Amino acid sequence: MSNADNQGRKGAETTGHVWDGDLQEYNNPVPMWWTWAFYGTIIFALVYWLLYPAWPVGKGFTTGTFNDITFVNKKGEEVTTHWNTRALFLKDQQTGEQAVKQREYLDKISQSSYQEIMQDPDKMAFVNSMAKVLFADNCGPCHGKGANGVVGLYPNLRDDDWLWGGTIEEVERTIKHGRNGYMPSFAGVFPKEKLESVAAYVLSLSGIVGEDKAKIEEGKHIFQGEEGGCYYCHTDKGTGLKSQGAANLADKVWTIANVPAAATYEEKLAAVEKVIVEGVNREMPAWQGRLPEEQLKLLTVYIHQLGGGK
Amino acid sequence: MAGAVPVVHQEYNYDIVKKFAIAAIVWAVAGMGVGVYIASELAWPFLNFDLEYITFGRLRPVHTSAVIFGFGGNALFATSYYVVQRTCQARLPSDAAANFTFWGWNIAIALGGISYMLGYSQGREYAEPEWPIDLLITVVWVTYFWLYAETLRRRSQPHIYVANWFYMGFILATALLHIFNNLTMPVSLTGMKSYSLFSGAQDAMTQWWYGHNAVGFFLTAAFLGMMYYFVPKQAGRPIYSYRLSIVHFWALVFLYMWVGTHHLHWTAIPDWTSTLAATFSIVLLMPSWGGMINGVMTLSGAWDKLRSDPIMLFMITALSFYGMSTFEGPMMALKSVNALSHYTDWTVGHVHSGALGWVALISFASLYHMIPRLWNTTLYSLRLVYVHFFLATIGIVLYIVAMWVSGIGQGLMLRAFDDYGNLAYTFVESVVFMHWPLVTRALGGAFFLTGMLIMAFNIYKTVSLARRAEAKASAAEAAGLAQA
Repeated sequence: MSNADNQGRKGAETTGHVWDGDLQEYNNPVPMWWTWAFYGTIIFALVYWLLYPAWPVGKGFTTGTFNDITFVNKKGEEVTTHWNTRALFLKDQQTGEQAVKQREYLDKISQSSYQEIMQDPDKMAFVNSMAKVLFADNCGPCHGKGANGVVGLYPNLRDDDWLWGGTIEEVERTIKHGRNGYMPSFAGVFPKEKLESVAAYVLSLSGIVGEDKAKIEEGKHIFQGEEGGCYYCHTDKGTGLKSQGAANLADKVWTIANVPAAATYEEKLAAVEKVIVEGVNREMPAWQGRLPEEQLKLLTVYIHQLGGGK
Repeated sequence: MAGAVPVVHQEYNYDIVKKFAIAAIVWAVAGMGVGVYIASELAWPFLNFDLEYITFGRLRPVHTSAVIFGFGGNALFATSYYVVQRTCQARLPSDAAANFTFWGWNIAIALGGISYMLGYSQGREYAEPEWPIDLLITVVWVTYFWLYAETLRRRSQPHIYVANWFYMGFILATALLHIFNNLTMPVSLTGMKSYSLFSGAQDAMTQWWYGHNAVGFFLTAAFLGMMYYFVPKQAGRPIYSYRLSIVHFWALVFLYMWVGTHHLHWTAIPDWTSTLAATFSIVLLMPSWGGMINGVMTLSGAWDKLRSDPIMLFMITALSFYGMSTFEGPMMALKSVNALSHYTDWTVGHVHSGALGWVALISFASLYHMIPRLWNTTLYSLRLVYVHFFLATIGIVLYIVAMWVSGIGQGLMLRAFDDYGNLAYTFVESVVFMHWPLVTRALGGAFFLTGMLIMAFNIYKTVSLARRAEAKASAAEAAGLAQA
């Protein structure tokens, strides 16, 4: 290449044009390697055009040759076509190395009952492998990648407290049809003192007992009577009702009011009062139709076992 | 530097060149500053502060517009007006029209930036401004075209210098791209919102025909024009090969127009369009390299100047990055490579190796060469030019390497399978992986921005000292006249 550079003292020739005082151009030839490399890329393109769909002709296009793809269409017929991305995708789904491995297990899962899946360590290993990614990509945005949820917003799926029931059938129903968690707002219903009383009673159910026993007693009266009517959904013992998605208030698990995070009794009271005043309205979307049945099945088993399902 | 030729100020319109040159530096500081901020937002998301005006989505087009059209565009206006006047030995035909291009262009970019922050966007990459701003840009651009073509027509030189072909190609192609990509129907004459004339795959292909040719003509051909004037000027040597410049110019402008669809591989576009885009991208490699060869071979023979002239350092490094990114580009345009690289940070790294390494460095070199000549002075500090050079180069290397790690890592993670044929990683795991590369990228950007601030200081001192000296000289002259 340096030989082609006949510049400087070796007696360069310029084109003879001069601009702006001193701007000139040598009349060197185009470097040979440049020319050949350029031809090389053109040959690459020509070969590519021969093999793949390339040039539009009328309403069609040149389809390429030596490069046909065979796959099975929806009717179960074998189809051979010129190279195209759609056929390539279908073929990969049908015969690709990873797809074949995955299909083998997915077929087993589809044919097995929940019990059969849960009792077979090999199938469970597959469930955990595939559902981990399905969960993180689809459910994780709300429930968190690790399914820990967000207190006040999205339920924790790692504990064994299930608002809508933790049997495998109940979990399946929750995923497929979604849920609408609702508690009415009691804003303006009770004066401040009565509100405090109800909150004090609710706290006492899980062993957080304040000093003002009369207050707790008053709260109990409101809770279990028609004045508050809380017992309709939460039951008179406060243990909740899975058919309504009503929380168990007698355990130590808090999904909306962040009681464990509140330092003093007064703050805990305020946290519960806030929920009573504001009510609850949250929705989990239905996933049936959004994900294939077999993936819903995987997620059901996966989520069920996260919280050590019932 | 010391031998700056005294110029006859009335001969050429230097006032407009000065305005654009200063505006380029102002936009560079602003645009790169926003760039570092949004890079930091990606590394530390709390920086969004839940303020919709400054979220990544709204600030990102502010960054791209400010650096491409603010910094790059003003640098191109400045150098093209400088080069066309000097190589044609003709003054721009109208000072008023030239001033209109200055104010029109800069107001359009400022309005664009404000409108993005308020949430107005066409959602077309690098063509975000809504229709009223597009109309202003169109009028400015047609005026620019007229000024440029008219100056060429009035030249007192028999031949048109090669730099002008590239500038002219850039102006014509940009007009074409801007107009066709922005064909929209406004919802109402009093509102900002409009809908594209095209739909579906055709709309996407129109957008990427625009998007890639913005890279090809705005960020490549135009800056090659800059290179073809300032490299031989600074080296004091003739261009290596006139013939190569002709061949690669026509090959480049012909081929670029075909390749935009490589931004849409593996999507709903017809397969044959994908093939054409990939193959033309490969064929484009050597025509792109033609400019690098011509630049590097022009500098060769003046290698000794690299030891004493930091501007030459900027030029050779710019040409090297140009060569590297125009090699990387065609590789990424191949469908199999693209399947990994697309939608990852690799693309972001690639565009920045071109934008920082080539476009910004060749612009810095040209501005450092041109500004002292415009104000008839020398640079305030050559040492600061060196400092700028090293900060910029370290910044670019940090940036590109971080994005290679982030992008290739992300691409590999998203296609990794486990023993069951299941995806091995969740999307969010790939995001977690990217954290440190994103931090490194922000750091690289901070280096580059620091270099830019040093340049701004150096240019400020250069210009203010030159103005003071000029004032003193004219006072002395006046005193001399009074005595006589």
